[in-house]
Amino acid sequence: MTNKSKILIVDDDADTVELLTKRLRAEGYYTSEAYDGEQALRQVGEYQPDLIILDIKMPKIDGYEVCRRLKGSEDTKLIPIIMLTVKRKIPDKVKGLDVGADDYMPKPFDHRELSHRVRYWTAVKMEVEERVREIKRLEQELIKSERLAAIGQTVASLAHYIKNILFGLKGGVYLVNVASKENETDSLKTGREMIERNIGRISDLVLDLLEYSRERELEYENCFPNEIADEVCGLMEARAKEYGVEIIKDFDPSMREVLLDPRGIHRCLLNLVSNAIDACLFDSNKEKKWVVQVRTILQNDGTVRFEVSDNGCGMDEEVKKKLFTNFFSTKEGRGTGLGLLITQKVVQEHGGTITVDSQPGKGSTFTIRLPCTDVSTPGAMAKESHES
Amino acid sequence: MKRVLIVDDDIDVTTLVSKLVERAGYEAVVAKNGVQGMGKVREGKPDLIILDILMPKQSGVRMYRELKTDEPLKDIPVIMLSAIAPKSFFRSQKVLDEFAGQSVPEPEAYIEKPEEPEELVELMKRILG
Ligand SMILES: Nc1ncnc2c1ncn2[C@@H]1O[C@H](COP(=O)(O)OP(=O)(O)O)[C@@H](O)[C@H]1O
Repeated sequence: MTNKSKILIVDDDADTVELLTKRLRAEGYYTSEAYDGEQALRQVGEYQPDLIILDIKMPKIDGYEVCRRLKGSEDTKLIPIIMLTVKRKIPDKVKGLDVGADDYMPKPFDHRELSHRVRYWTAVKMEVEERVREIKRLEQELIKSERLAAIGQTVASLAHYIKNILFGLKGGVYLVNVASKENETDSLKTGREMIERNIGRISDLVLDLLEYSRERELEYENCFPNEIADEVCGLMEARAKEYGVEIIKDFDPSMREVLLDPRGIHRCLLNLVSNAIDACLFDSNKEKKWVVQVRTILQNDGTVRFEVSDNGCGMDEEVKKKLFTNFFSTKEGRGTGLGLLITQKVVQEHGGTITVDSQPGKGSTFTIRLPCTDVSTPGAMAKESHES
Repeated sequence: MKRVLIVDDDIDVTTLVSKLVERAGYEAVVAKNGVQGMGKVREGKPDLIILDILMPKQSGVRMYRELKTDEPLKDIPVIMLSAIAPKSFFRSQKVLDEFAGQSVPEPEAYIEKPEEPEELVELMKRILG
């Protein structure tokens, strides 16, 4: 039987080392040796033994300390250690086990006993390694299957979304066809509108996908944050009204002209306000008077803060955790889950942050903070501001 | 004139389907969600309901179960119209059946979006006669 296990023998007594070396090599093991604690620790790293036979009394670092360190480290804690004790001293044995030794052996040793213990512990080590490999393999499989599941989900939710658009397109074409056959101007108009609306939806989707996948350079320009926010509110006004949601604007009058990518920020706010209206729409409490509030704040330190809050459905911890992950949407078929991803991306590219505060049933607040350069008057940043 | 109730939050769907309903010679009534839908049903029993599954506020699944467990309403035929694959819908129904300890009959028809408008018209005519 050949035994390929590697054994490190550590003892300051050269005779013991030689004796053990001879004996173990005769049994087919590989061996290496160290004569003090420091050397032992170094050797463990280089030699990567499968078993360590360790004397207690040694100069510099003693056997207990070597054992404690090896058992305390992730890399080496699985290597079995047999402690050598001069006599069958009970206190030594107890202390050895305390610092994590796996076994102990009295010196001078009986050859059969030595051989037996070494065989046992090298077999244990192999078994442990096998288990560790198994666990690693399982972990990898799990990661892989989770990734596949995520991709599957992404594709499915996109497919839903596109199906809805397709439905609108087909419907529109049908109405136009009917209208042209029967000269019905009313249907013609509805059909056209339907087609146009859905072409718009699909263009937005493509833009979103591109925006998300591409490394877009920010286009910095001088602009007024309040103007961007106002524009977004204006765009969403009609939809809000349709669903009985009031949009309240609260813009900081001390806001100044700053340098940022206006189109990018416009997009972010549009996403947040549109989500906020959706949140009201998804709210099951019909008694509520729904409000979406859009605030801008110039902080003392020059940070521009945008806040979009709603008193809609809010979200639980589970949803909150997934908010900024790939394509997460709870609006099956009505959302792509891209909105917040893109918003986060743009905000981060500005060197800013986006945070969320939400309670189920009460509503949510999304806050964007952008570190901005004030471009109006140099030194104006130090002046008072609305809030911080 | 026979009345068809269309329950869907998507304006494209309600526009198109009510056109189809009217052209087939029936009266179309529209509701934006399940709560509104149930309200319309109680105002006057429709002869057919076309119901979307995924809607804000009250989902189509819930409205469907409410309908089918209500003695005077359970006979109204329902066409499910959804972007969800029928397989997923029927699986979810089975789970709900077990959970609620009651079994709810399957809808008269299940159409997966996007369907051909003609398909819906034919189905309606077959059910309403
Ligand atoms: N204001 C909000 N209130 C409650 N939930 C929200 C809000 N904003 C976002 N969410 C949740 O985050 C999800 C992801 O949003 P988003 O990335 O914009 O994608 P989408 O709007 O297409 O679903 C939404 O489906 C919704 O569940």
